[in-house]
Amino acid sequence: MTGTDRSPMPGGATPGGTVAGVTTLRSGDALAGAAPVVRRVGDTGAHWRRRIAYAVMIAYGILMFVPFAWSVITSFKTQADSVNLSVIPQPVTTEGWTYLFERLDPSLLRLFANSFGIALTVTLSNLVLASLAGYAFARLRFPGREALFLIVLATLMIPDQLRLVPVYLLLNLIGLTRGPLEYLGVVLVMAVMGTNVFLMRQYFLSIPRDIEEAARIDGAGFFTTFWRVMLPLATPALSAVAILQFQGTWNAFFWPLVLLERQYFTIPIALTFFRTEFQTNWPPLMAMVVLATIPILILYVFFQRYFVEGIAASGVKG
Amino acid sequence: MRRSVLALGASIVMIAGACTSGSTPAPSTGGTTSAAPGGSAEASGASAAPSADLSAITGTAKLSGWQSSDAENKALQDTVTAFQAAYPNVKVDYKVITGDYPTVMATNFASKNVPDLFYVDASFGQPWADQGFLEPLDDYFTKYGFDTSAFFPGYLAPFKGSDGKTYGLPKDGNTIGMAYNTAEVQTAPTSLADLVTAATALKGKDGLKAPICLNPGLDRGLAFIYAQGGSIVSDDGKTNQVDTPQTKAAVQWYLDLFKNGIGMTASDMGDDWCGTSLGKKHAAIAFEGGWLDPAMSSTYPNVKYAWGQIPTGSSGSPVTISYTAAYSIGADSKDKDQAWVLLQFLAGKDGMTKWTSGGVALPSRTDVPTPTGKDILVAQAQFAKPGSGFMKGYGDVQKAFQDAFTKEIQDKTYNADSVIAATKTAVDAALAS
Amino acid sequence: MTIASARDRRVSTGIGQRSEALAAYAFIAIPMLLFLVLNIGSILYALFISVFQWNIRSGAGAFIGIANYQNVFKDPIFIRAIQNSVYYAIVWVPLTMAVGLFLAVLVNQKLRGRTFFRAAFYFPAIASSAAVTVLWIFLAQPDGLFNGIRGALGLNPIFQLFGFAPNQNWIGDSHTALNSVILLNAWTTSGTFMLFYLASLQTIPGEVYEAAAIDGAGSWQMFWRITFPLLKPGHYFVATVAVIGALQLFDQARIAGGTTGDPANALMSVVLYLYNLAFFKFDFDRAAAVGLILFAIILTLTLIQRRLFGSAPSW
Repeated sequence: MTGTDRSPMPGGATPGGTVAGVTTLRSGDALAGAAPVVRRVGDTGAHWRRRIAYAVMIAYGILMFVPFAWSVITSFKTQADSVNLSVIPQPVTTEGWTYLFERLDPSLLRLFANSFGIALTVTLSNLVLASLAGYAFARLRFPGREALFLIVLATLMIPDQLRLVPVYLLLNLIGLTRGPLEYLGVVLVMAVMGTNVFLMRQYFLSIPRDIEEAARIDGAGFFTTFWRVMLPLATPALSAVAILQFQGTWNAFFWPLVLLERQYFTIPIALTFFRTEFQTNWPPLMAMVVLATIPILILYVFFQRYFVEGIAASGVKG
Repeated sequence: MRRSVLALGASIVMIAGACTSGSTPAPSTGGTTSAAPGGSAEASGASAAPSADLSAITGTAKLSGWQSSDAENKALQDTVTAFQAAYPNVKVDYKVITGDYPTVMATNFASKNVPDLFYVDASFGQPWADQGFLEPLDDYFTKYGFDTSAFFPGYLAPFKGSDGKTYGLPKDGNTIGMAYNTAEVQTAPTSLADLVTAATALKGKDGLKAPICLNPGLDRGLAFIYAQGGSIVSDDGKTNQVDTPQTKAAVQWYLDLFKNGIGMTASDMGDDWCGTSLGKKHAAIAFEGGWLDPAMSSTYPNVKYAWGQIPTGSSGSPVTISYTAAYSIGADSKDKDQAWVLLQFLAGKDGMTKWTSGGVALPSRTDVPTPTGKDILVAQAQFAKPGSGFMKGYGDVQKAFQDAFTKEIQDKTYNADSVIAATKTAVDAALAS
Repeated sequence: MTIASARDRRVSTGIGQRSEALAAYAFIAIPMLLFLVLNIGSILYALFISVFQWNIRSGAGAFIGIANYQNVFKDPIFIRAIQNSVYYAIVWVPLTMAVGLFLAVLVNQKLRGRTFFRAAFYFPAIASSAAVTVLWIFLAQPDGLFNGIRGALGLNPIFQLFGFAPNQNWIGDSHTALNSVILLNAWTTSGTFMLFYLASLQTIPGEVYEAAAIDGAGSWQMFWRITFPLLKPGHYFVATVAVIGALQLFDQARIAGGTTGDPANALMSVVLYLYNLAFFKFDFDRAAAVGLILFAIILTLTLIQRRLFGSAPSW
């Protein structure tokens, strides 16, 4: 989005008959309307299709919100009322919320700070490391590339449950299982996820090659090409990584649970505080679910606009 | 075993808290049940008198366990405060373990980075002892004159290793009793025949989905098998006794409750456990332990119910099953003596009195006052047999029983033969492993 | 995919191959180090302990070779776990991919309220799987909202045709438990897949559509002739991640069915089996064998997928 790329477009001369007419990407409008259904106005069929599409989407969209709405409603119920299916709380109470603000140990603020700190660090580290590695696997040639990439894929195939003991032993060995260093242990385990490397690689693969080559002709080095040309083009993928990784870390349960002690706990672990074997304290639990969801919702709404802009907005337009 | 009970709290698991009583892969047998009625109930009363030696021990003891409620946390904090007053030389560093308790403990055992004193559920008692995770306590008993005869024998039994040594002291305990809605049932049935009569009269009454809420597994069913003279294994834990006529008759009797519409599972009533069924008045009778009380008072305060003993069956003598958890000292603890000071207090008369006065737990000792309203559940401990930890591989046995039993209910065939056969196979496999 | 396969044709820039390789190693150094230590290291550890009688505290006991691998296949519950996981993958992966792609194409259009719809469709993916699963269990109870709504809408006769009672216990009944979990996860994960596809859709130049529109292609044709094939790197990514994830089903099964896969093993997945073996039976050596078997299965399937999705360079 910095518009740093001033490289001349090799006018439509994509060799090999590929479909990527990069020079034609001048029109952001064309790109945003990539799916043609609604673009073809004037077609009466399209009107109907649009209406049906809206109807489907609204219905589906509402369906998606039902559980969340239910959480909100339940958070204002009393414990005795929470097991009923009634839509209006009888009576309406803020006990569940008061509980969150006054009775949690560690405090709500501490929990949020823990979660934010870990999620932010892990997300940044993934953005940096995954885009670097993804670019190398997509575009650079080096001995062992295929084998090393297979290792990246293989990391996805190992259940965390299998890794628990060896990873714990390792972190214990280097002293990351005691005190505030436990944060570092969690961050290290999630510092770069194979999924993100894979995602970035696939995205870089699908960016037309001409853009980058023009930069290289201009004499830019590998890192400069990556940083000033390719990375800005990868905004949609970076947004996806940012959203997914932040959310994934925010909701992560397994590693924080086994690697952190109570004062460093994150929000998903706090969700278990309200649940015992024979009883669930629904109102505060649901209030907590609502609170836990809001930051990700904000983040998502913020980042998702970068999906719209994509390549068109990221410098190619010039 | 989704709803089987771990002592009073049970490991809280993820958000759903689906419960788990683990199974036991111990390499050898032992740890028999010793549930002689009357037992040593009135015995000794000698709570470990703090000896001079104890006050000479100084340092810190790291204590860990699961925790299931704020009330439980408070009760423990109060007890620890009482300990600090009595033994100011030993500081307590208490950490709650959240999540799957055995999973977290596994990482501790592997890294030899264990709490000095920690909870051990009865179902893990012998396996953990046999795998060398726990410190035997017998030497401490001798050295400091600690008398274990004050414990109800059924609570102590699961913490014997295969070598016959004791690896933990029960921190509290719970027995399975009969909770009945007093608006529906005026007097508690005292025999199984009475139970069936009373329940039959309730069929279809007042919107009840079924008169009795029943678990389709051994976590409650075992009490009824014992009541009718049956069993799973012999008392020494070595011989398969599933296919005796008594056991088979008891299982058939239990299935017939479902067949005749007298009993239904909580799940089939749309509830997560029988406490909910009782609370929502889907059922008038449920077989649960002391954990029912806080759940009912907070979520269903308007439902009035009372406790009765498990009705006696053809065996003629009163019997039920019990669940417990112990305090054990880690084999890799670096402060075992400090841990012992804490242990002998927490499992001793004074500590347990303090702990159980918090209203969240029942005593495992005969010399501790009975908390109000818990008379029946505590009295049953005199004759209760362990509901877990009495044989190795019991988790697999429970699962085999429950799966076969549930199938009989779902298929509406109600035949005990397949349940007996599946359970017998599982017991054989468990005994052979 | 033509764009991707063009990547090995390079314009000579005058910078040697050696410096390119060095640059690449610098790019991947930290990620690969972490992967090797934290992931591949775990595999080697598992491999090692799986051939011993392993005590988690005291370490290696007797060497038993491949006995764990042989014994585990003799356990009918393990076989059932494999069947469940494979069934789950076969049904869940295509279903979720199709829904995800459909949603992505929908919200990629210029529509009023697009922001809202993108948020709405992604919404179920936001909350933690634990919270969503608990909620789902709550709604799917015999007395729950789902049965209540279908009763109110008069849909019960239709459900009756398929043998579902009005108070069907969706998650508690062994016949419907796994399918219920499939639906639950399709519902949550389709939003994530929508996100992947949405990013992927951005790489398709708009001109391609304009050219096709001039040729008179309808929107349906354009989708199948242009969008779908051009999304190939996206398909490959989503399919691979989906299959790998599906075969590691754990959270939802764990929450809905405990560690023993209730009801009646219907929710026993391979990872749940491993977890139960390791942490509730403390049989770590055999659990390690299970983990490695699963790893081998997933690796094989991934390599097959790679073949299916075309020639090597595009993976």
